[in-house]
Amino acid sequence: MHSSELLKGTLQTIVLKVLKDHGRMYGYEITQRVKELSDGRILLTEGALYPSLHKLEAEGLVKTEIVNIGKRIRKYYLLTSPGKILAKDRVTEFVDFISTMRSVLQVKMN
Amino acid sequence: MPELSKENIDYIIKDLYQRGLLLDGLQEELIDHICSAVEDDMSSSKRKFIDSYHIVIATFGGTEGFQEIQHQTIQSENSKLIDMLQNYFTIAFRNLKKQKFYTLINIAGLAIGVASCLIILLYITNELSYDKRYTDHDRIYRVDTEMKFGDNHLLMANTPAPMAETLRKDFPEVEVAARFWNNASMIFRRTEESFKENYTVYADSSVFRIFDIPFLAGDPRTALKEPNTMAISKKAADKYFPGEQALGQTLISNDGQVWKITGVYENIESNNHFYFDFILALVSVDYHRDTGWLGNNFTTYIKLAKDAKAEDLVAKFPKMVLTYAGPQLKSALGADFSFEKFESQGNKLVFTLRPVTDIHLHSDRMGEMGANSSITYVYLFGTIAGFILLIACINFMNLSTARSSNRAKEVGIRKVMGSLRSHLVRQFLIESVLLSVGSFLLAIVIAWMVMPMFNELALKQLSLPFASPVFWLLLIGGALITGIFAGLYPSFFLSAFRPVNVLKGNVSMGTKSGIIRGALVVFQFWISIVLVVGTIAVNRQLDYIQTKKIGFNKDQVLIVHDAYALNDQLHAFKDEVLSDNRIKSGSISSFLPVNGFHRSDNVYWPAGKSPTEENMVSLQNWGVGHDYVKTLGMKIVQGRDFSNDFLSDSSGVILNETAVRMLGYTNENAVGQRITTFGADASDAKNYLVLTIVGVVEDFHFESLRQNIGPLGLFLTNTRNMIAFRFEAKEAQDVIKSVENTWKKFGPGLPFEYSFLDEAFGRMYSAEQRLGYIFFIFAVLAIIIACLGLFALTAFTAEQRTKEIGIRKVLGASVSGIVVLLSKEFGKLILIAFALAAPAAWYGIDWWLESYTYKTEIGVAVYILAGITAFGIAWLTMSYQSIRAALANPVKSLRSE
Repeated sequence: MHSSELLKGTLQTIVLKVLKDHGRMYGYEITQRVKELSDGRILLTEGALYPSLHKLEAEGLVKTEIVNIGKRIRKYYLLTSPGKILAKDRVTEFVDFISTMRSVLQVKMN
Repeated sequence: MPELSKENIDYIIKDLYQRGLLLDGLQEELIDHICSAVEDDMSSSKRKFIDSYHIVIATFGGTEGFQEIQHQTIQSENSKLIDMLQNYFTIAFRNLKKQKFYTLINIAGLAIGVASCLIILLYITNELSYDKRYTDHDRIYRVDTEMKFGDNHLLMANTPAPMAETLRKDFPEVEVAARFWNNASMIFRRTEESFKENYTVYADSSVFRIFDIPFLAGDPRTALKEPNTMAISKKAADKYFPGEQALGQTLISNDGQVWKITGVYENIESNNHFYFDFILALVSVDYHRDTGWLGNNFTTYIKLAKDAKAEDLVAKFPKMVLTYAGPQLKSALGADFSFEKFESQGNKLVFTLRPVTDIHLHSDRMGEMGANSSITYVYLFGTIAGFILLIACINFMNLSTARSSNRAKEVGIRKVMGSLRSHLVRQFLIESVLLSVGSFLLAIVIAWMVMPMFNELALKQLSLPFASPVFWLLLIGGALITGIFAGLYPSFFLSAFRPVNVLKGNVSMGTKSGIIRGALVVFQFWISIVLVVGTIAVNRQLDYIQTKKIGFNKDQVLIVHDAYALNDQLHAFKDEVLSDNRIKSGSISSFLPVNGFHRSDNVYWPAGKSPTEENMVSLQNWGVGHDYVKTLGMKIVQGRDFSNDFLSDSSGVILNETAVRMLGYTNENAVGQRITTFGADASDAKNYLVLTIVGVVEDFHFESLRQNIGPLGLFLTNTRNMIAFRFEAKEAQDVIKSVENTWKKFGPGLPFEYSFLDEAFGRMYSAEQRLGYIFFIFAVLAIIIACLGLFALTAFTAEQRTKEIGIRKVLGASVSGIVVLLSKEFGKLILIAFALAAPAAWYGIDWWLESYTYKTEIGVAVYILAGITAFGIAWLTMSYQSIRAALANPVKSLRSE
């Protein structure tokens, strides 16, 4: 498990990237996908995920589609075009960040 | 994977609802999330629904967790500013529209306050901008002189003639020095028609190296080098040479001298401590080479070298005085003179430097280049403007908090619906900023409309600088800051309401904030009453001055200016005017008993004695013609006026009573005594001049009533700046016409200028008059704004107490009883305001009157009058609302219960 302190700044990047790779997703699906991708080392808390999703929506970076499944309503999120651009930028930015950190912390990675 | 049953889902929905998860959009989403999570858990762990559900709920952090998510979501959604602002604005506009009456009063009050502030700010900016245009204005200084000799203490803006040259030669700190001389009026003509020019001066050629006034034609470095050359302003050039090149042309002055124009400069702007249309080369006048250190007739300016300090230079002045003025003082005062002795007797001859930028607001000396202002006015205006803005802001706060009870329910409902306190604060702040922006817009319109009036009052040419971005920036900044400050208190006050209390209806906010509101009302009326007392006091003093016995008759005296222009025709002109039987008498002179006219003085002592510190008296020297005392309506107490019948009068003198007393005579024994003064040549100690006293004139005021009457002597000389005529009362216009016709006959083409002595006398107190007007206007404004507020407050109280009044009336209360009941609350506040204002006003007036030697008594009556005025106006304001409330039919107010 990674500490939530470390994850704080990367939440939006993770969400954007996951949505970019998978197209349409709903909240629970996102948490599960991230869990799967990180071998259970990153657990998105609902308390962080939903406000973040709503914020992205308010800013016009994601849009939603509502699907009725029986008694429940499922809300799918998908990236808008500015959202897609931002997702790409964020990933590039984060890769840069990692390489910077590597030199700062003097560690070798493969 | 197991699908949850319908019942299970219903259970989840109900449970989450009870945990307070209400937000649209988020609610369904979380239900789906939890369902999916529960399904996963059930399939992987084979637990029962209810156990899985609790495990999932726990990962959210229970009820608090849900609320936290909900809260966070609201916040992140709302961070989209534009939507929210739009919402705030819509609501604000609706609210303001709903409360038209209060909105109007708020905007009107604030707009008046802001408009006053705006105008005064412009005025102050202008006052502070004087003489800052010159490139090296921080290095330019004027040399001032302080002279104390016996009873004479003179603070002058002038210096001896050789001062400039000496400073330049002896002190490396001085980069340039230049002199102005004889700032007066002259008459010029190009061909036939003559014009009187009021703004002429002689100056050294170096003057443009100190004051870099931009030249339109000619070279400022060489313009005034040759005798009989001059530089003129663009205005003068356009007047004499319209459409022509003025450079190289000539004008002829009244004495026949031809002046060549060697420069045309841009008009000197109004925020300059001097203004001239004609600057004549000082080398044209021999007097500029004068070497006397005891006369002070030149205004000397210097520009210091870049690294020089003014204090260091001033420290070297005493030595300069000793070197140059010392020998001349010695030859004038006799052999036993020494400078140490001179100073040990309390006498002084001191030169100082004054920064040119200080002159306009800080200098009030003899021989100023023009009328200066005073920093006191800047402070006074600033304070008053601040007060008025404060009164307006107080209104704003008072009305908003008073109205709060009407909005308490709104606050309660908003809070229940999930509004955070910060949302409410923002909502209220936006309302108040809207009001304030509206007021500022209105204020610009008001200011623009009253600007001409203010200019007339303050003798300025100000205008709103619409083109300046700083002006707009200030206005916008001002509107925002005022809005935020004025709205801060109400918004925090309102947003602090607890929804439970408010919705239960047990908060009557109208009274809770009563103490603060009361204090604010007291403060408003405190300011108003102080201003009213100030207005009355200033007008009292003015009245006192106008009606005080001044020792001469200022009415019905016509003064014809520039008499010298008639040259040898002068006496013929005077005789012809006197042949008109409406003219009672006339006298040629250069001196008048109002300030602003030329003054000079000299020391005298009784003849036959040697001059000593004790017996020398410095007399004002007034050169006058025959019949002076008669024409100006002064009173001879002993002896006689100068008369054509006595040829010996040219060595006679008429003294005022003060001079007689100071020379050691009495009114009775003075006539026939002889007094002595130094002759024209100061270097010859024995060249005395002896004069015989022919008359004693009753003391009359010849300066402003700020000063005591000093010793004065009238001498029969041939000075001829003007002729004074005393005429019959009724036909002033006819008299002027006929005198003008006579003037045209003797001096064809010469400009005819006249004035009346009583007007000149009035002008002496124009500062007081202006102060009176300004106090009056601001007192009125302050009262209007304060009353606007009071009006709205009473309306509000009456509205709140409608039911109470209804019940009282049903129980038998009379209309008058109810009016008193409603007025009592604020009446009390105004009484407190009066009690606090009286001492403050008394202190202020006392301070102001201290500068007058002759002053009126400000009795208790003035305070009582001011108090009654304020109270009366306030009561009238309140009574409209109170009476309306009291007359209302109780059926109407009680029906709904």
